[in-house]
Amino acid sequence: MNESENMTREVAAPVRDNAEVEAALNRRYEAGFVTDIESTSLPPGLNEDTVRQLSAIKQEPEWMTEWRLAAYRHWLTMPEPDWAKLEIAPIDYQSVSYYSAPKAGLKSLDEVDPKLLETYEKLGVPLHERAKLAGVAVDAVFDSVSVGTTFRKELAEAGVIFCSMSEAIREHGELVRQYLGSVVPTADNYFAALNSAVFSDGSFVFIPKGVRCPMELSTYFRINAMNTGQFERTLIVVEDDAYVSYLEGCTAPMRDENQLHAAVVELVAMERAQIKYSTVQNWYPGDENGVGGIYNFVTKRGDCRGADSKISWTQVETGSAVTWKYPSCVLRGDRSVGEFYSVALTHHRQQADTGTKMIHIGKGTKSKIVSKGISAGRGQNSYRGLVKIEKGADGARNYTQCDSLLIGKKCGAHTFPYMEVKNPTAIVEHEATTSKISDDQLFYCLSRGIGEEDAVSMIVDGFCKQVFRELPMEFAVEAKKLLEVSLEGAVG
Amino acid sequence: MSETQAIRTPFVQAVLDSSGTADTSGIAWVDAARRDNLASFAATGLPEARNESWKYTSLRALSQRGFAPVDLKAARTVAVDVPVLPGVTGARMVFVDGVFRTDLSALEALPAGLTLQSLPDALAADPEPLRFALSARHRHQAADAFAHLNAALARDGVVVKVAAGAHVASPVHIVFISTQAGVAWHARAVVDVGQGAHVTLVEHHVGLSDVASLGTLFADYTLRDEAVLDLVLVQDASASATLIRRSHARVGARAVGTVHAVELGGALVRHELMAELVGEAGRFDSRGVFALKARQHVDTQMEVRHQARDTASDALWRGVADGRSRGVFRGAIVVAEGADGSDAALSNKNLLLSAQAEIDTKPELEIYADEVKAAHGATIGQLDERSLFYLRSRGIPLTQARSLLTLAFCRAALSSLPNEALREHLGDLLVAHLPTGPVDA
Repeated sequence: MNESENMTREVAAPVRDNAEVEAALNRRYEAGFVTDIESTSLPPGLNEDTVRQLSAIKQEPEWMTEWRLAAYRHWLTMPEPDWAKLEIAPIDYQSVSYYSAPKAGLKSLDEVDPKLLETYEKLGVPLHERAKLAGVAVDAVFDSVSVGTTFRKELAEAGVIFCSMSEAIREHGELVRQYLGSVVPTADNYFAALNSAVFSDGSFVFIPKGVRCPMELSTYFRINAMNTGQFERTLIVVEDDAYVSYLEGCTAPMRDENQLHAAVVELVAMERAQIKYSTVQNWYPGDENGVGGIYNFVTKRGDCRGADSKISWTQVETGSAVTWKYPSCVLRGDRSVGEFYSVALTHHRQQADTGTKMIHIGKGTKSKIVSKGISAGRGQNSYRGLVKIEKGADGARNYTQCDSLLIGKKCGAHTFPYMEVKNPTAIVEHEATTSKISDDQLFYCLSRGIGEEDAVSMIVDGFCKQVFRELPMEFAVEAKKLLEVSLEGAVG
Repeated sequence: MSETQAIRTPFVQAVLDSSGTADTSGIAWVDAARRDNLASFAATGLPEARNESWKYTSLRALSQRGFAPVDLKAARTVAVDVPVLPGVTGARMVFVDGVFRTDLSALEALPAGLTLQSLPDALAADPEPLRFALSARHRHQAADAFAHLNAALARDGVVVKVAAGAHVASPVHIVFISTQAGVAWHARAVVDVGQGAHVTLVEHHVGLSDVASLGTLFADYTLRDEAVLDLVLVQDASASATLIRRSHARVGARAVGTVHAVELGGALVRHELMAELVGEAGRFDSRGVFALKARQHVDTQMEVRHQARDTASDALWRGVADGRSRGVFRGAIVVAEGADGSDAALSNKNLLLSAQAEIDTKPELEIYADEVKAAHGATIGQLDERSLFYLRSRGIPLTQARSLLTLAFCRAALSSLPNEALREHLGDLLVAHLPTGPVDA
């Protein structure tokens, strides 16, 4: 016993004594600034009037108001889910303000509050000329209302609709009505019902038949005003033989109260359509004692409705105090393909319960899941996934790989995969490993003159490579940097 | 009273009715614990599908059935053939419908250091050593319905004690035979393997054909430091039986527990296998296989908790489901904070042979320490087409090739069983049960 104890001490000692490492570990959240602009907010509280008011502010048609109210009424009957491996203080839904918008009346980007633009500037959002240079069309959600959308023209020429959800409801009502809630019904789960009742804004994308979207579409979300829950609703519909790659990324300013976030993302892929949805999530994770931080309850689901369609989710989750998120694929169309690539990092007191669901319904459907969890500090990281093969899914195939990396003595890494198979021609495979950065790997790097920090960063990068490879270039760079910053010094 | 909340399903009602007829022990704390447990059971009833741990095993049909208490007189006198297992030549304890039968047991000339008693005998002799195991408060979680039920109603069972340092060479055979239809029997096992002691126990369930009964068996195994326990579970219950079992092992420092489980019979079978590695460098290995057909439902819940340094566990489970059967497996590995140096592995492979069958598997890892190696793998699929092709190219007919491969697939779970005669016999039992039919068909 003594021998092994000594060994452990030898390994761990250089780290604990390293003041630089401590400093790096305790580094403040870099994107933590508050932009001071006027906003119109609803008072805190939630009832039918709030929902009606919200709908009225957004000048929504009658059917939308009713849709929201139905969701609200159902939400009232639902219990809050408690099955996730998360410790969350009770959320007071009445203390949240359900609408906050920057001052109204903007007609073009030039009219946008310079402070707002500055905010994006700090975050590196490529608006204006920068946007053009970067070749990215941005639908920037500042709190709850989209304030500027670029590249509209170019996209319009291709027949692509890319606008805020509010605008889509007003101008493409029939399209929205046809698809909204068809993938995630209003009564799907507690947070989806809440979102359906009070969603403030989000993005709407429609790619018509045969169109390959000429550029990568991107939305930057940013939670800003105090006490404002952010409830985005995103709907992406891709018709036959069309393709789109969608990027979602976010940072939020520093705040002490827990901010509630419950988003719903719905993807619809028709025959031979392909959707690639990438997320980098870097919201405020709370401080090292677990004070503050975003509560992130997200329902993301893609419906491969058509044969030979494909939906691919890639996520890099480094932010939020609490992450509750299971991007899923319903593989309805024959030979449709679902993919899920994820890197989730928890540090300090962050908690993540995230994974995916692959529901195989069509024949010859395939899914692949690669999940990389990294836990440091007192972080708790759980993978929770479901692979379900229904009776008719002849020849369905799934491969799942879940790896966890532990950095430190106080963190936890957990894996809860569910496999339900009802078809005898299906093959489902799951593999999971848990380990720490091995002393051998570290020693090797050190012996080559690579510093400890760089060595850890290199090893983590290698651990995540399989996922980063799936990200669009701009995101891959950001993701890698995010991980480095989040993990500096967390050597175990 | 908490009982008023009870969902008075026919099942719960029958339990409450039959509890009146159960005798008391005359030992105050034993009777108090039984009453507490009965109240707890009545308050909650059977778990519903909403309960995560019962997600894949519905008790709705069971809750609509009421089981009568065992006819004790008949159980004590009925003539039954005691099943024999090759290689299991040691002492024998036989329970008929949960009732201990001295006349069918073989307890003469026990090896030195081995004590075998029925639960009533052990309680009559000295109840104190059993207090921990039988007191309700110690171990039962709030909604642990079958544990409460068993603790409330089990009047018989087996108490095994192996003295420190004793090496019991011949395997001890503990047989549970169901003969009465429509009854519920409940038995308890308390096993204490002393420091440095070695013992092999074979728990064997059989039933007369078509006996629709409910049996519950809750077993506690304590492995003191350096103890070695080999546990073989042979479940060959009747095709309409419901059997709920829990085997809970506490593994001390440098002790080694090994389980081999073969699940063949039963209509609704649940086995909860839990091990807590509480001593440094303790080890717990488990191997198991189920072969299901018709409408069988077999649910294995395995949970290994590494709570001390340098502990190890290795689990290898195989499942085959045919007909309209459903196989459920949950294999959880938990490594507690501070359990550095733990090494845990789990492999669960399943063959799904029919379009009406279903397999649900859930390998879990919960890791709270970083100096750890933990891995699991699970698959659900079919026999390898290439292997089949190879065998057929050698002139082996398709059905036989399938049988051979299925058997080989299952036997992986038995290959580490040291008792060769028993291993061969269990292999034969599997062959007979395999949905693909006997190899030489």
